[in-house]
Amino acid sequence: MELHTNVTVDADHSVARVALVGALNTETAPGFEQRLEEVVAAGHQLTVLDMKDLDYISSAGLRVIFKAAKQAKAAGRRMAAANRKPHIDKVFEILKALPDMAVFANDQELDDYLDSMQQRVRGE
Amino acid sequence: MGRSITTRLIALLTLCAAVIIGAGMLIDYRLSRDQILDRLRRESEETIRAVIIDLENWLQGVQGATDLLARILQQRDYSQAGLQQMLRDVVHSNADIFGATIALAPGQTVSPLGFAPYYFRGETGLAYADLATPEHNYQHQPWFTDTVAAGRALWAEPYYDRGGGETLMTTYAVPVYREDEAGKPFLYAVVTADVALEDLHAYLQRLHLGENSFGILLSRKGAILSSRHRENVMRHFSATAAGRANPGGWQEMFEAALDGAVVTRQLPCDAAPGPCTFRLGTLQPTGWPVGVVYSEHEILAPLRDFQRKIVLAGLLTLALMAAAVALVSRRLTRPLTALADASDSIARGDLDVALPPARGNDEVARLVQSFAAMKTDLKTYIADLESATARRSRLEGELGAARDIQMAMLPGQGEASVQDPACNLWAAVRPARSVGGDLYSFQRQGRQLFIAVGDVSDKGVPAALFMARAMGLIQQLAGAAAEPAAAMARLNNALEQGNDNCMFLTLFLGVLDLDSGELDFASAGHCAPSLAREGKAFALAQQQGPALGLVPDLAYPGNTVTLQSGDRLALFTDGIEEAFNNSDEMYGMARFHQELAGSTQQGVATAGPQLLAAIDRFAGDCPQSDDITLMLLELTSADRDAAPAPTAASAEFALTPGITGAVHAWLERVLAPIPSAVRQDLLLVAEEVISNIAKYAGLPARAPITVAVNAGPGQVALEVRDPGTAFDPLQQGDRARLGEPIDQAAIGGLGIHLITSLSDRQNYRHEHGYNILEVVKYL
Repeated sequence: MELHTNVTVDADHSVARVALVGALNTETAPGFEQRLEEVVAAGHQLTVLDMKDLDYISSAGLRVIFKAAKQAKAAGRRMAAANRKPHIDKVFEILKALPDMAVFANDQELDDYLDSMQQRVRGE
Repeated sequence: MGRSITTRLIALLTLCAAVIIGAGMLIDYRLSRDQILDRLRRESEETIRAVIIDLENWLQGVQGATDLLARILQQRDYSQAGLQQMLRDVVHSNADIFGATIALAPGQTVSPLGFAPYYFRGETGLAYADLATPEHNYQHQPWFTDTVAAGRALWAEPYYDRGGGETLMTTYAVPVYREDEAGKPFLYAVVTADVALEDLHAYLQRLHLGENSFGILLSRKGAILSSRHRENVMRHFSATAAGRANPGGWQEMFEAALDGAVVTRQLPCDAAPGPCTFRLGTLQPTGWPVGVVYSEHEILAPLRDFQRKIVLAGLLTLALMAAAVALVSRRLTRPLTALADASDSIARGDLDVALPPARGNDEVARLVQSFAAMKTDLKTYIADLESATARRSRLEGELGAARDIQMAMLPGQGEASVQDPACNLWAAVRPARSVGGDLYSFQRQGRQLFIAVGDVSDKGVPAALFMARAMGLIQQLAGAAAEPAAAMARLNNALEQGNDNCMFLTLFLGVLDLDSGELDFASAGHCAPSLAREGKAFALAQQQGPALGLVPDLAYPGNTVTLQSGDRLALFTDGIEEAFNNSDEMYGMARFHQELAGSTQQGVATAGPQLLAAIDRFAGDCPQSDDITLMLLELTSADRDAAPAPTAASAEFALTPGITGAVHAWLERVLAPIPSAVRQDLLLVAEEVISNIAKYAGLPARAPITVAVNAGPGQVALEVRDPGTAFDPLQQGDRARLGEPIDQAAIGGLGIHLITSLSDRQNYRHEHGYNILEVVKYL
């Protein structure tokens, strides 16, 4: 199983969207780790992991997400997960992973969140 | 007050007083009555005697005067004028004489009518009448003729003196005889003196014995001279109303009185209610019956007065007596009444009630004192009881909580029923006290069922604590899947450590292969299991070792028995065999086997409670002396018949960075028949296990990793074997703390959580230089 990632950046919102396709396991985790570090390092306020097409995740994959989330938080930024499949959700649940990470069940929730973020920024 | 002491005292003492006073008064009355009656009799007799003597004196005076006159005339001659003058003087000087005459005999005077001057007491003084008249013709009057005929002095029958005194009278007549020259006597005259009946009557009425009493005087012929009723005067007694009423009585009385006797008769009369008493005697000079009539009822009136006064005095005395007794007894019993009220209050729980004051040293005071002491003791006792009860209920509360905790250690909280496709199991424990030392455990591991039934020595809290320790160790063992005999040896050593109290545990430990029906078991001093097969129940033969916890490093023999379809296995503690009834009989194995054999038609969940109920019925009221545990187990033949043949596969993989992918690919293929959700979990578990090996086993590249899959009915076992350094990831592996905020969370240590969470059972062992990790997931 392989993992493909597709990163799109919404500069207006300072949001990076990382779409994961395939399996995030022991083998694919190192590659994904490097990729995600790059995205986080780019300094977007919010990094959204879109798991719509993620079929499998192991502890190694979660470790990568943990690490990135930790870095983002240290830099005052945020990381979010969206569109988790049931068995992916189960792994997150078991590990009580990322309790303070925003989770969006679907794109609509994500969009609503982004809109509210934008309004807040403008309000400032 | 009811039937209080006071009431009874009053009643009893009053009754006693009534009897005593009554008796005294009765005696007094008897004596007084006799005296009174005697006095009355004497009084009446004296009255009668006095009246009669007066009357007799009077009549004798009349007689004397007349006799004297007659004697004078006998001896001396007087002229007619002289006779008249003498007669006048006699009447004038004798007030008792109503009238008198000197009637000359025929031939003693020249006149043919004779000579008879008569002086009497008229209305205006002394009056004169001549009886020698044709109208009167004294010589033919009875007083004259009768006297002459008798030739001696006579009292004539009463008569009405017509032409003379013109009144009712009686006459005393004396014949005067003279002698002629030849000495021959001849009648010269008849001298008379009259007595008016009126005067007699006045005399007689002095006979007065009571208001309605009256005197009575009869002539010798029975004519009434004086009586109560004037109209009866001059009548014969038989002509009166009273005489007509009882002629016989009157006649008899009259005759007796004529004969000179004193007679007393009770005859009816109209003078008084009831009979009157007639007391008759004879008036001496005349021979007339005289007497008095009186009513006894009237005479006795003073006696009745006396009786009335006596009764009144008695009643008054009794009333005073009762009042005095009431006063005294009330005063005596007042403390008792107060004490009774106080004891009522105490009975209602008011122990602070005031007691009556105890004065002096009498019985009541002593009673009050001991009552006060009792009250104090009772107070202390109740306070002690309350605190003891509070302590006890606190202890009971703790024991209740301990029981809940203990039961929570047992599968199913002390009563478990499992309906499994492979087997049916029912187990229950009944502690003799709140907490007990019996235990049971069962755990299914794939196609194997681990079962344990044990009994800690002693009962109660110490046994329960030791049981808790044993339970923890047994459940650890259950996961180790060792042979029962070996597990028993390990358990023995574990329990022996620090067991200074020398508590011990008898235990049955078995592993049942649900496919083959083969039961491997070991027994540490535990009673042999019983097997019900084809309508009979019997104890299984077993080899056993000593009880656990006493001596370390013992070996335990293993036993094997194969259960057949329809067999029912009973595991239990000795509380069943040693249940006693009130006759000190033991329940015993024979009864248990009979019940067990008879219950195989019911399911285990029905048969189990029935077996225990049979023991309860046997024991009756006898309290349960020991903890009782019973486990029933049977194989379900349907499951074994339908069970698909287990599939097993194993493959060796070289430890390379791509090993996960290879294992996944292989597993996807091998586990194709099982549901994808389970397969997904197992894939993840396999990856985590292998990545752990890669991290911690210190293996060179391309080291061989063996992965085996054993898919049976109901479960899938995954075994991963590597030749690396001994490392138990279940115990030694890092485990991240879950749920921490991201800035505090450790990176890593997540894999082991996934392994334990996604599989049902994990077992690590190190054998022959290999780390072997077995993970089982139930379907």
